Amino acid sequence: MPDTFDYLLLGYAFIFGIPLLYIGSWWVRQRNLEKDIEILNSLNDEKKK
Amino acid sequence: MPQRNLTLLNLLTLGIMLIATGLVFFYAPTEREMGEVQRVFYFHVAAGWIGGLAFFVTLVTGILYLRTNNSRWDMIGYLSVEIGLVFSLINIISGSIWARPIWNTWWTWDPRLTTVTILVLVYVAYIMLRQSLEDPERRARFAAVYGIIGFISVPLTFFSIRIWRTIHPVVIGSGDPEAQGQMNMTPAMRFTFIFALIAFTVLYACLLANRLRLEQMAQRVEQLKLKILSA
Repeated sequence: MPDTFDYLLLGYAFIFGIPLLYIGSWWVRQRNLEKDIEILNSLNDEKKK
Repeated sequence: MPQRNLTLLNLLTLGIMLIATGLVFFYAPTEREMGEVQRVFYFHVAAGWIGGLAFFVTLVTGILYLRTNNSRWDMIGYLSVEIGLVFSLINIISGSIWARPIWNTWWTWDPRLTTVTILVLVYVAYIMLRQSLEDPERRARFAAVYGIIGFISVPLTFFSIRIWRTIHPVVIGSGDPEAQGQMNMTPAMRFTFIFALIAFTVLYACLLANRLRLEQMAQRVEQLKLKILSA
C-alpha cells in the first residue's frame, strides 16, 4: 500500500480551510454591519431630536 | 428564517459534519491501491455535488425571478452561485491533490477537469456580469437568464466522463459497461460516501440561510443610509 498520508492531510487542509476562510469573512462582515447599524440608528435618533 | 431556527440548523450542520468527518477517518476502510489519500474522495465528490446543487438552485431561482419579478429570488440565486463557486474550488483543489500521487501529476487536461474548469469560469463570469450592471432590475433579469443558460455546463461536466474517454473514475453508476474508469467501493465506503453527500447538502442549506441573513443585514444598512440622507 503506498504511503499517501501527506496528501490526505494536504487535501483536508484545503477542504476545511477554504470554508473556514469563507465563513470567517462573513463573521468580519457581520461585525462591521452591526457597527454600521448601531451608528446609523444613533444618527437617525439624533436627527429626530 | 427566525434566529432560533437558524441556530438549530447551525448546530445540526456542525453535528452532521463531525459525524461525516469521523466516518471518513475512522469508519471507512483504507483503500488498498491508493492508500490514505483515497479518503479525500468522500468530501471531494460531496463538494462537487454541492457545486452542481447550488448552480441548479440558481437555475430554479432564475426561472422564478423571470416569472414573478421578486428580487428575493435574484438574491438567493446570486448567493447560491457564490457558495457553489467556493465548493467547486474545493472540488478542484482536493481533486488535484488526490491526483498527484495517483496520476503522478497535479493537473491534466482530461475531459472532466477541462469541463469543470469551464464550469467555474462560467460562474465567475456570472459574478462579473452582475458587478458590471448598476440598474438592479436589469442586473437581476440578465443574471436570471445567464444562470439558466449557464447551467448547461453542469450536466456537461457530470456526463463528460461518459461522453469522452477519460482517466477520471466514474463513481455514480460505475457498473455501467460504458464507463471508462472504475471505482469499486465496499459497503462501509458506500455508506460513508452517501453520508458525506447528505452532510454536505445540509451544510449547503445552512450556509445559504446564513449568507441570506448577512445579505439582508447589508440591505438594512443601505436602507438606513437612504433614510438618513432623505430625512
